[in-house]
Amino acid sequence: MLAYTLRRTLWALPTMLGVITVCYLMLHATPGGPFDSEKQLSAAALANLDAKYHFTEPLWRQYLLYLGALLRGDLGASYRYVDWSVNELVAKALPVSLGIGGASIPIALVLGIALGVAAAVRRDRPIDRFVMLLGNTGNVVPPFVLGPVLVWVFAIVLKTQEGQGWLPAGGWGDGAWTHRVLPITLLVVINVSTIARVMRASMIEVLSSNFIRTARAKGLPPRIVVWRHALRPALMPVVSLLGAISISSITSAVVTESVFALPGLGQLVVNGAINRDYTLVLGIVVLTTVAAVLFNLLVDLAYALLDPRIRY
Amino acid sequence: MKATHWFATALFALVLAASHAAHAALIAPDVKLAPVQTLTRQLPAEIESLDPAHIESWAANTVGLDLFEGLTRIDASGAVVPGVAQSWTRISPDTWRFTLRPDASWSDGVRVTADDFVYAWRRVLDPQTGSKYTVLAEFVKNAKAVVAGKAKPAALGVRALDPLTLEVRTETPAAFFPELAAMSSMAPVPRHIVERARDGWTKRRPLVGNGAYVLDDWQPNNRLVLSKNERYWNAHAVALAKVTYVPIEDDGTALRMYEAGQFDYTYRIPSGLYPRVSKQFGPELRAGMQIATYYYSLDNRDPAFKDKRVRQALSMALDRDLLTKRLLQAGEAPLYGLIANGTKSASPFVPDWVSWPMERRIAYARALLRDAGYSDAKPLAFTLTYNTNDLHKKVALFAASEWRTKLGVQAKLENVEFKVLLQARHEGKVQASRDGWFVDYNDAMSYFDVLRCGSIQNDQRYCNPKVDALVEQANLLLEPDRRAALLTQAHALAMQDYPMIPLFQYSADRLVKSYVGGYSATNYVDQRASQDLYVIAH
Repeated sequence: MLAYTLRRTLWALPTMLGVITVCYLMLHATPGGPFDSEKQLSAAALANLDAKYHFTEPLWRQYLLYLGALLRGDLGASYRYVDWSVNELVAKALPVSLGIGGASIPIALVLGIALGVAAAVRRDRPIDRFVMLLGNTGNVVPPFVLGPVLVWVFAIVLKTQEGQGWLPAGGWGDGAWTHRVLPITLLVVINVSTIARVMRASMIEVLSSNFIRTARAKGLPPRIVVWRHALRPALMPVVSLLGAISISSITSAVVTESVFALPGLGQLVVNGAINRDYTLVLGIVVLTTVAAVLFNLLVDLAYALLDPRIRY
Repeated sequence: MKATHWFATALFALVLAASHAAHAALIAPDVKLAPVQTLTRQLPAEIESLDPAHIESWAANTVGLDLFEGLTRIDASGAVVPGVAQSWTRISPDTWRFTLRPDASWSDGVRVTADDFVYAWRRVLDPQTGSKYTVLAEFVKNAKAVVAGKAKPAALGVRALDPLTLEVRTETPAAFFPELAAMSSMAPVPRHIVERARDGWTKRRPLVGNGAYVLDDWQPNNRLVLSKNERYWNAHAVALAKVTYVPIEDDGTALRMYEAGQFDYTYRIPSGLYPRVSKQFGPELRAGMQIATYYYSLDNRDPAFKDKRVRQALSMALDRDLLTKRLLQAGEAPLYGLIANGTKSASPFVPDWVSWPMERRIAYARALLRDAGYSDAKPLAFTLTYNTNDLHKKVALFAASEWRTKLGVQAKLENVEFKVLLQARHEGKVQASRDGWFVDYNDAMSYFDVLRCGSIQNDQRYCNPKVDALVEQANLLLEPDRRAALLTQAHALAMQDYPMIPLFQYSADRLVKSYVGGYSATNYVDQRASQDLYVIAH
């Protein structure tokens, strides 16, 4: 397994280089530059900025300079937020995104698996219909609609005696739990619907397989059949999904963090793209790529734990 | 002799104005203050910097005004009042002398001296600094040469005659210099800190400044927490003990946060919600104007707009009253010229046809188009480009509909992303486009950047040497009324060429809790320092 892990890690390097290169070229090819503004800069001021950020160099040289800095762990200077380096901005935003995404995934996982199993076991019964309704709702109602609805109910309609909303309508403040409840709820609703649907389908398939029939024939109680024998193999598709969900909790943060005005990576990447803050966007791309490689590796390793037939 | 007389009068008036005692929050004696003086304000975006050399946006300037104080400052009513300078005189058309107050100090106790201003201004212009916002400091003599690297920063026309006297020479006479001296980018920086920490000096906590507040905490995209600077020279008149700025870009989110009690003061009402918000919040919606113009930029070199008659016809056909009162409904004022109401040193332009019935306007506009060679068989066609935004979309649909129904003009609408529009407009790749101008300082000169021949802000590529000559002539005058008359004339002359289509003056509508005092609707430059605000017992 160690050799496999090392091999996967080595393979990840050209993947990352490819992603960074493509993003680098795409960003530079996008019309509009970091210093375009409604009030145009004087030619002299623009020339000073171009010199400061090496824009006077050929693109290939700028790219090599960027890669060189990246190898030293330096994500570069932000063109927009000049008081901060990209490393500092990412370091401040990452805990917020992880705090929201990290809390929502386990909750969504537990709820999604439980609901999926319940729906599969009680197929075509009310619980099944509820899970399917939830699954479809979570998929069709976009977060930028569901988010404001949650805010409207819990921050505007429901108020304390002092006239404050039960929960904050947005912002992060000092990161208190009250600021986390609604964004986590939104992410849970988005993810739980997908997990429950996949879990239900997988469990239905496993429950109709021969070894489950054998277990039932042995006279094992249904609870044991489901939780001890069927659950593990039925989890495989959910585990596959987990890698994608983990990454999407970072990428879907673009919407969640906009709706709740959270100072996470999502806000940062949106601002970076709008402002043509190339280094800021690339910094987050690098981070997301590393996360994608890591999550996918963990998912592959988890297969071996769940399915004894898989060996690396 | 006459010039000397006017000069003496102007000098006297300036000294008199400047010698008024400065006040922070002006609180009426019968107002009972709340025991807890804290305020949470919305910023429309995360700020780009707290270093005066890098401050360029309205948001950063607003926070900057709390942390750093320039020679002058803008008070609650929008008037220029003494800041670090307790008085100033214009000793010649292009030379100003500022006398600094002896009790001004940095928040670490070090005295603020004239040298701090010299150092700060040289630093803004130094090519090594890479400042984006050099336009204000560029009024100082030799500034443009310094930015271009053709002169050393030491050649800049500013010098400290002694620790409390600063002498500034401007490149051309600039009657409005005290106005722009109030902006954050003209504020001093603590040389003793900056030279030690270089670019990282704004990361120190508390950040050393000379404003009414000091920065305690700054979490990007989250909040900036400021507390009262007890060493500020006018600290006894500052009421608010703590101010928190929260950057929220989405107006809808900000409105919900206000409703949830998280804000005391918002920045903007979401487009289209003004009537609802007005009904829901009543007097908490503080209406006001700001000196900012919404207009359509026309490329005057483009074959479609080369002919002045075409530009005039397009302008005449637009019913600004309908646009502002029925469609936008957020207190905007119709504009027919570039210069907005409330601008010092020039009056707005109102053409004769404004008072005509719409039928007559349309007939006249149609005749103009006909004379220019357009007809129903050969209609005028062009592309109007705007950036993605609800307001811009509404206005563009309105304008295209007006032109089509009233003149038979075919305006194709093109919606692009903000930076794409900026680049295309600056490079002359769009025919007609959404444009706007927010003044940097309250003087008509701020607007003429858009009209002067060859100016980088002149996206219309418009040029009338007579306009430039009048502006130059006006700036040589020391008597304010005569200067204003000439600038008004220059503006009218330019507007009679119809280089662009002015549409309306932006309103500045804020939701501000009823217990917040010190908010004035006459602050047209929209620079509201926290030291002028206070919380009333509620």
